Amino acid sequence: MPSDTSILLGAVAYDPKVVSIWEGIRDYFNDAGAPFDFVLFSNYERQVQALLAGHIDIAWNTPLAHVKVQQHTQRKSLSLGMRDSDRDFHSRLIVRSDSGIKSPVDLSGKTLAVGTADSTQARILPLHFLKECGVDLKAVRMLTFETDAGKHGDTGSSELEVLDALRRGDADAGTIGDLIWVLEQAAGHIDTSLLKSVWTSPPFDHCMFDAMPDLDAQKIARFKSALFAMTWENPEHRRLLELEGLRQWMPPREEGYDSLRAAVADQGYPL
Amino acid sequence: MNNESTVAVAIDAGELPLGGGLLALVRPALQLLEPGGVLAINSGHDGLQDDLSVWCKVQQHEYLGHEPAPNVVDPPHVSIRHLIRRGHLSVPQGDRETGMRLEARNGKLRADAVLAAVPMPETADPRSGFAPRGAQVEPGGPRYPFDLLESRHVAPPEVAKLFDQAVESQWDGNRDIPWHNLPGHAPDLERAIGQVFTFLAENELSALYVPSRFVSRIHPAYAEVAMFLSTQMADEARHMDVFLKRARSGGAGLGVSSVTTSQSLLSLLELTDFTEATFLLSVLGEGTFIDLLRFIEDHAPDDVTAEIVRRAGNDEARHVHFGLVHVRHALANDPGLYQRLENAVRRRAAAMAASSGVPEPLQDGLTVLAAGSTQPRAIARGHDDFRQLLEVMHTNRMKRLEHAGFSPAQAKTLSELHTPNFM
Repeated sequence: MPSDTSILLGAVAYDPKVVSIWEGIRDYFNDAGAPFDFVLFSNYERQVQALLAGHIDIAWNTPLAHVKVQQHTQRKSLSLGMRDSDRDFHSRLIVRSDSGIKSPVDLSGKTLAVGTADSTQARILPLHFLKECGVDLKAVRMLTFETDAGKHGDTGSSELEVLDALRRGDADAGTIGDLIWVLEQAAGHIDTSLLKSVWTSPPFDHCMFDAMPDLDAQKIARFKSALFAMTWENPEHRRLLELEGLRQWMPPREEGYDSLRAAVADQGYPL
Repeated sequence: MNNESTVAVAIDAGELPLGGGLLALVRPALQLLEPGGVLAINSGHDGLQDDLSVWCKVQQHEYLGHEPAPNVVDPPHVSIRHLIRRGHLSVPQGDRETGMRLEARNGKLRADAVLAAVPMPETADPRSGFAPRGAQVEPGGPRYPFDLLESRHVAPPEVAKLFDQAVESQWDGNRDIPWHNLPGHAPDLERAIGQVFTFLAENELSALYVPSRFVSRIHPAYAEVAMFLSTQMADEARHMDVFLKRARSGGAGLGVSSVTTSQSLLSLLELTDFTEATFLLSVLGEGTFIDLLRFIEDHAPDDVTAEIVRRAGNDEARHVHFGLVHVRHALANDPGLYQRLENAVRRRAAAMAASSGVPEPLQDGLTVLAAGSTQPRAIARGHDDFRQLLEVMHTNRMKRLEHAGFSPAQAKTLSELHTPNFM
């Protein structure tokens, strides 16, 4: 049983593999001298509530959940670390080659497939950036895919739905994250004569370990020390890093979330 | 961007998009580089930098940027040069087999030639998994449960040659036996044949199972050993098939399976040491079976029976050969092994102490088979032949043991302790 000194981390169970990931990380942290346990939530809203209420020490948060925690703590919450892969995400505008769309302004009068309402990369930020580019979103017909609400786009399922809608011809264009776009290409799932990317958004950052400002300093030190000691060349670590989709843990940085703060304010997104 | 001096490899990617085949050029080109080496990609695909930089991030390469290509290649097209610095992760270990050109001899390219070109290591790393010997292995792979990791305990140098021989010698139990020539025999004689082949089939099935327990423990660096054992197992499968067909082709059907046989074969199946198992199964057991099969061939009342055991005997001789070279190779590298093998024979003999001799149904079957009939005078002759068989088996076993490296005195003791079940 975890003692009071063990770090209790919250994560959202967006996929069955999440259990393997955190059980592996729990064992690793315990062996590394950082007593550790985790709880799984079904959605980020519940996880953020638990963090704010002090039920958990650390939350593994999406950018939207990160911004939400900061908003509720007047930005006094602690950011502990992120994945290398969380840095410099972009959204993409993918179009059918026969759609005639060459740049965002051509979207007027067209059908745009977008991901789940709480997906940072497939909905909130691309619409924000497209608007900044001068796209009149009222003149665009939205085709929305509300899959896995509460998971903040973690499953990628709504992005795959967007790609499918494009393949079927249900939409002329769609917004997805660049990671899915490149991974789907690298896996050979994209017919590049049918689909192409015509626009890349400015960069933004993704997930973050969030803690409340009063978290015990020893827990913070132990957590960071064990986290940043993981290396890709160690097979036991690598198995966990691969599952969690990174090669190296990185220190936090906040500027990567500025655009999301602006977007949720502009869109009136309820935090 | 000025990386001109550091570009080690350059490729022309035409207008391929990242998801349209570009990676099939980029990934192998990166494999040619050491970590830190720079790859230049000349591309006419618009906006490739956005996809390429994300892919580099995922793969932990460094995307250095892009610039107009210094030279327009043939056919002429607008080209952008992208530069990638190879990352330090997932760099395969070992040297690439550049320049490897195996050459056929007399029109044949043998496993033996491969072994000569790519020798087996003295010890093997369980993390290389099923990677073929000679492949570059990406680091960080899982540990495999192989525990036969030393050449001296696993892999005699002759094994590839024996594999080649085994492959060349495969035969077809449906086609190569003259089944249509099987004559009718007196019921007593046919019953004896049914009994003998029941015994043979039971033992051959055990000779399929015993090596199978070791195949999955052999490190793939010694794949030729697993490959040879797979031919041995295929041989035993074929033997079992034709033996049972023979027993069921003459009207008698199968005979009795004895407890002596069952005990003897269990004591083989339970062995956990590969060299001990090879010694007991192949050198002592299959060696003794060669004499048994020759005895049956000599007394076979028809061509079908004779052809079956003749072909099976040839296969068994190969298995015995493997057993001998394996044991000799292991003994040469581990003098303490003599004692361990002797102990294994003694332990097995102790476990079989309650058995009174050759399984009775087999004794009777072989006697009637050798007699050719149940006429008493013929039976007396058959009985003499059977007793002589036991002598021949003992003599030849001692020869094989001496050939394996045991002293004449050790050979005599071990041969006398061998199972009365032959296998």
